[in-house]
Amino acid sequence: MKTENRAWEKLQRHASAQLRPGFADRVVRAARVGAEAVPSLFSIFALSAATAALCLLAVTLFNTSYRDTDESDFNLAGWQQIAADSEEFAVNL
Amino acid sequence: MESSQPTAPVELILRAQRGEPDAQRELIVAYQHRVAGFVYAIIGRSDSIEDIAQLIFIKMVRAIDRLQAPAQFESWLFRLARNTCIDHLRRQKLRRIFTPFAPEHENVPEPSGAVGSEELDALRHALDQLRPQDRALLALVQEGRSHAEIAVTLRSSVAAVKARLHRAREHLREHYQFPHEN
Repeated sequence: MKTENRAWEKLQRHASAQLRPGFADRVVRAARVGAEAVPSLFSIFALSAATAALCLLAVTLFNTSYRDTDESDFNLAGWQQIAADSEEFAVNL
Repeated sequence: MESSQPTAPVELILRAQRGEPDAQRELIVAYQHRVAGFVYAIIGRSDSIEDIAQLIFIKMVRAIDRLQAPAQFESWLFRLARNTCIDHLRRQKLRRIFTPFAPEHENVPEPSGAVGSEELDALRHALDQLRPQDRALLALVQEGRSHAEIAVTLRSSVAAVKARLHRAREHLREHYQFPHEN
């Protein structure tokens, strides 16, 4: 058990020796610089929401315009068929 | 891992919470060696200690104003340290899934004797055989955290912590080859 405790103490000393001088100053500096550069949670959320809304709008518009064109073509073809049938019916009379 | 080191005075923590850089620096200086030892016990690599310790203290500086009970600072700091180490190991594991290394480059261990002590080599070897969660548990105990504090940290019960600790210690002893005793 004593050997194990000594080993833990050595582990602690070895780990401490890996920190270069000025560690605390570097951390405080990095924390400040990083905090200014990192966008706030609200701005990240707002940007995500705006992007999602734009995508949804684009998909809806695209889908609607395609469906309208298809529907018009279908209706026109139907009316043309009716007109042709009635003309043919009138001639046969 | 000294468990009898003095805790930071509440006044210093309150000043750090108000954003005073001098107080934040003092806090880091007071805990940097203990956190480094804690990180090494979990990560097991000397070359990652400074980077991970830096990450832990940056998180500490940014989140300390949200700490409700300054008296609980130490528990809070070591919980932060534990979670950061476990996250680091998880990310490393995930990265390996997407960018697989050749077997010879996979988890290159620190060469035996790199730390210049047989006792430490033996402890590192034994810790390597444990799960990261168990290494963290042993490191928390070495840090002087009570069973109740560890239970809060791990969101578990005191009885469960004791059982896990018992198993982790047994496992460690199984793998720990006492130098000069074998």
